[in-house]
Amino acid sequence: MKHSAATRAGLAVALLLPLVAAALAAGLATGAGELSLRAALNGQEPDATVLFRLRVPRVLLAAEVGAALSVAGVALQALLRNPLADPFVFGLSGGAAVGTAIVVAASGTAVGAAAFSAASFVGLLPAQLAAVAGALTAALFVFALGRSRGQLEPTRALLVGVVFNSFASAIVLSMESILQPDQTQAVLLWLSGTLGYEAMPLLAGAGIALLVPALVLIALAGRLNLLALGDEGAAALGVDVSRTRLLAFFAASAAVGIAVAFTGLVGFVGLVVPHAVRLVVGPDHRVVLPASALGGAAFLVLADALARVLFRGLGAEPPVGAVTAIIGAPLFVMLLRSRR
Amino acid sequence: MTLLLEARDLHFRHAPGAPEAVAGASLAVRAGEVVGVIGPNAAGKSTLARICCGLLTAFSGDVFLKGEPLQRLTRRDRAQRVAFLPQQQPHDLAFTAREVALMGRAPHLGLWMLEGPRDLERADSALAEADALDLAGRSVSQLSGGERQRVFLARAFAQDAALLILDEPTASLDLAHQVLLVNALRKRARSGGGALLVLHDLALAGAACDRLVLLLAGRVIAEGAPADVLRPDILSPAYATEVDVVPDPATGQPLVAPRIAR
Repeated sequence: MKHSAATRAGLAVALLLPLVAAALAAGLATGAGELSLRAALNGQEPDATVLFRLRVPRVLLAAEVGAALSVAGVALQALLRNPLADPFVFGLSGGAAVGTAIVVAASGTAVGAAAFSAASFVGLLPAQLAAVAGALTAALFVFALGRSRGQLEPTRALLVGVVFNSFASAIVLSMESILQPDQTQAVLLWLSGTLGYEAMPLLAGAGIALLVPALVLIALAGRLNLLALGDEGAAALGVDVSRTRLLAFFAASAAVGIAVAFTGLVGFVGLVVPHAVRLVVGPDHRVVLPASALGGAAFLVLADALARVLFRGLGAEPPVGAVTAIIGAPLFVMLLRSRR
Repeated sequence: MTLLLEARDLHFRHAPGAPEAVAGASLAVRAGEVVGVIGPNAAGKSTLARICCGLLTAFSGDVFLKGEPLQRLTRRDRAQRVAFLPQQQPHDLAFTAREVALMGRAPHLGLWMLEGPRDLERADSALAEADALDLAGRSVSQLSGGERQRVFLARAFAQDAALLILDEPTASLDLAHQVLLVNALRKRARSGGGALLVLHDLALAGAACDRLVLLLAGRVIAEGAPADVLRPDILSPAYATEVDVVPDPATGQPLVAPRIAR
């Protein structure tokens, strides 16, 4: 490994791009029904609609969300100096759950109806907006409480996040007792992480919006490496530790927020992908971050394709969050065991 | 003679109401000089070292690096002027020794923190300086304490700062590598660098340093050439234990021996 980080990052990206392309092809080729690519490209119906209105948006969404969650996972693991940190560790999942539950509960009221029409104007459901608002509020809350003497303290922040998530799930459980069964179902589906079919302009917007936190984190990658030396070690090398933490935290939260807005809580991507990537490319964040973005995109596209194939016979499909957990949990244990 | 470091009348306490860890200490390191800070536990040696490189801020007193007030320097400027090696190194790093040495180049890199071929070369030459080049490809977490210390010394060398502040740099090093480190520091000093070492080993302090600063309860109680500081009438009360000092038969340098009753 006597090559510069730029060379190694370039190599990793060059090797991963074909994997992403293969995953996208597999994602486009699988679905509930048979699809003739030639027919679709010639504009024949219903193949063209299935390809361009259903599969392309869905595969793109999976790729964007997978990349966002993986990049955020890497950043938070570096930030908290804890390999078990996942994108939802800052209380994001709890916050999102409470936000969604409140909106679902309020959707029967007049205020709820007004919010619904306003939100659907921009192409998002109020539950989605509420989830993002809840997640980001929780993140700010945990970030504020996880500080001591003006510095984010990894252990404290982790504990506050864990406690906040438990607290939030208690609130959601209490609210479910007053919700109608179908409302409870809606909340549950949202929390388990589902990929839907979004409009192309919205997907393009999300992709561009995700580039900002991704670039911020890649620019911070060298400093995230130095954080592994400890706050003092990093500061002695000229790193502004608290500013680096703050920037990385907000960039990661923004990426998670965008992902949560579209898909709810898709677990394990942000945990498994960074670990697998580190196993191959080493700990250098300047390589790990771009490689995780691509690896995460490929992982979620494939997980979604698998969900569609495995359950095709049953005429149903599980939420993608369940599939990522079913694949992710054993994979994660395997990765842990392989690290001696 | 350029002053690489000048600290004047520093005062510091770790928490409001706590006793002063540093209570009016002053010291200087000139270019070409290796200065040792000695003193009993909790005398304020490590705290003083951290204030001098800007990791802690004194609540009164001034620190100048090459004549510039420390507070006026950017973090990056500071890291280009002074390299700091703490007492304890992180032991669970997955990075290789070469990657750790390369981290020393950080204050010289741009926004994206990408190193060039010259930085890679400098990291390797720094590893060689610390006798750690053969460890270059190994993960730091798999090294012994002494090997790890050499890798982190290489990181400090790679930083190319005129002043090195090393906190107990020899504690985990074997005799051969202690000598190697002292020789490396002396060589740097001959070409205009300087070093401030926090040391417990008084024999090594006497042999390695041009000047010693004896710290007790946050104050400098003796300062000067090793022979002027390493004296029984100074050391015995400072360390609250009886010591003998005898001249080294070969070099004449003072050798400190605690008197231990059998």
